[in-house]
Amino acid sequence: MTKSNFKNQGLNSSRRDLLKLMGAASALPLLGACSSLGGPASKDLSARVVVVGGGFGGATAAKYLKRNAPDLDVTLVEPNKVFYTCPFSNLVLAGMRTMDSISHNYNELRELGVRVVHTTAQDVDPVSRTVSLGDGSSIRYEKLLLSPGIDIRWNAIEGYDQAAAEQAPHAWKAGDQTRLLRRQIEAMDDGGVFVLTAPANPFRCPPGPYERASLVAHYLSQHKPRSKVLILDAKDNFSKQGLFMQGWKDVHGDRIEWVGLSGDGKVVRVDAGKREVETEFGTIHKASVLNVVPPQKAGFIADRAGVTNESGWVPVDPVTFESTQVKDIYVVGDATIAAPMPKSGFAANAQGKVAAAAIIAALEGQRPLEPSWANTCYSLINPEYGISVAAVYRIQEGLIHESSGGVSPSDANATFRKLEADYASGWYSAITQDTWGTRR
Amino acid sequence: MKTRFALTFALLLPALPALADDQANAAQTALLAASCANCHGTDGKLAGVIPAIANRPATALENQLMEFKHSDSTRATVMPRIAKGYSDDELKALAQYFSRIGSAQQR
Repeated sequence: MTKSNFKNQGLNSSRRDLLKLMGAASALPLLGACSSLGGPASKDLSARVVVVGGGFGGATAAKYLKRNAPDLDVTLVEPNKVFYTCPFSNLVLAGMRTMDSISHNYNELRELGVRVVHTTAQDVDPVSRTVSLGDGSSIRYEKLLLSPGIDIRWNAIEGYDQAAAEQAPHAWKAGDQTRLLRRQIEAMDDGGVFVLTAPANPFRCPPGPYERASLVAHYLSQHKPRSKVLILDAKDNFSKQGLFMQGWKDVHGDRIEWVGLSGDGKVVRVDAGKREVETEFGTIHKASVLNVVPPQKAGFIADRAGVTNESGWVPVDPVTFESTQVKDIYVVGDATIAAPMPKSGFAANAQGKVAAAAIIAALEGQRPLEPSWANTCYSLINPEYGISVAAVYRIQEGLIHESSGGVSPSDANATFRKLEADYASGWYSAITQDTWGTRR
Repeated sequence: MKTRFALTFALLLPALPALADDQANAAQTALLAASCANCHGTDGKLAGVIPAIANRPATALENQLMEFKHSDSTRATVMPRIAKGYSDDELKALAQYFSRIGSAQQR
């Protein structure tokens, strides 16, 4: 752990204490608001809501806040004018899609009346309810919704820092890192080894590393047929494992090799310059292209707002997705602790809708609605072979609970696999339309 | 404190006008339905590889959802796994909800 982490934690705990005080002080007004249920006086739908982060969680929340309460003053803070999605970035790496086809913008949100500000959020002061912005200005909120995504835990693997990521890309945030990794894959000599290191749980997109391995193998089979893919994994089990392994055998033969934790798959040191990694028990693997999917934590602004706990992630009230540590700050997406929901774009979108409804209910002085969420994650073994995991989540005894779900059948035929591959594209069109209004 | 909250609500609820009840139900169904948009587009209107579900007859939607929930059709992919997460009444409410949404748009 670095010095700055300690500093942030100190800040967090002092803010948390303040919060407890605020929480106690606000109990009375809250009761007051509830007892006026049904009276028009309790409605405050011209309030200012600030959303930080324009990915699946934040853009969806901003859209559904404005659709369901048009009088709300909604501001979205997002540094990028163009947003590239992590979902389908594996298809870009395999040459099946262009970067343009995974790019989205904020035009629909502006048309809906959301004020979109392209700058960074630098700090949050929950006492004065102010977000400091990268352009030097600040903005006040009645309710704040953070969709911070992930940050990389630099140096959690020895030698893997920001400079190393320029030689051994993570490509776990889509954009320049995706382009860099694509260029390296294209430049790789036939007969080379693409090494992917996968982290322990929890991390963004649990099936993502295995879909990436599949699609890189697909590209290699067509363009560099003597090349291999090696996955070095810090765990023994992974999402849709049975389906992936069956798919690899069916489609990729022995091109993909997976080494789990108990087979000495955990990488502890990276030498990006030499494109070498060292595992826990000292095995050195040399890569032609080295893709490190590193350990992660909630995005920076969550730390600044004091909503993260010692795990580096954000505990939330499962019914509303309001922080359990700081009042009036709602957090959605990969940054949250929402298990058994996965850290996926689909889940972030679903959480954004639940949090938007909870914010509107709170401003109206109403009890929150009963939440429900769905998640479907498609993964491609190759363009003709798709697999999926799907689930519905409800609240049971105060906790998020999987009320139904499962993975694709193991005995499905080629028609079924092709259908799921097609549905993956249909899903991408639909969720990006629902989130940004773009047509892809 | 929690008990007092519950009591306050119990006392207030019968006095609430029916309109507020309807609005709350409508908001509840809209939130339930919002999950469908992730694959069927906003308001279930996006027609593509995955079909639009807006503006289709309620009985057709209801029958399809019940079949997903109660029979293990081998042709269907994710919907049997998803439909089982909802009560029959919720699936009926969803069918009604989407049948009342205006015409579908083409991709």
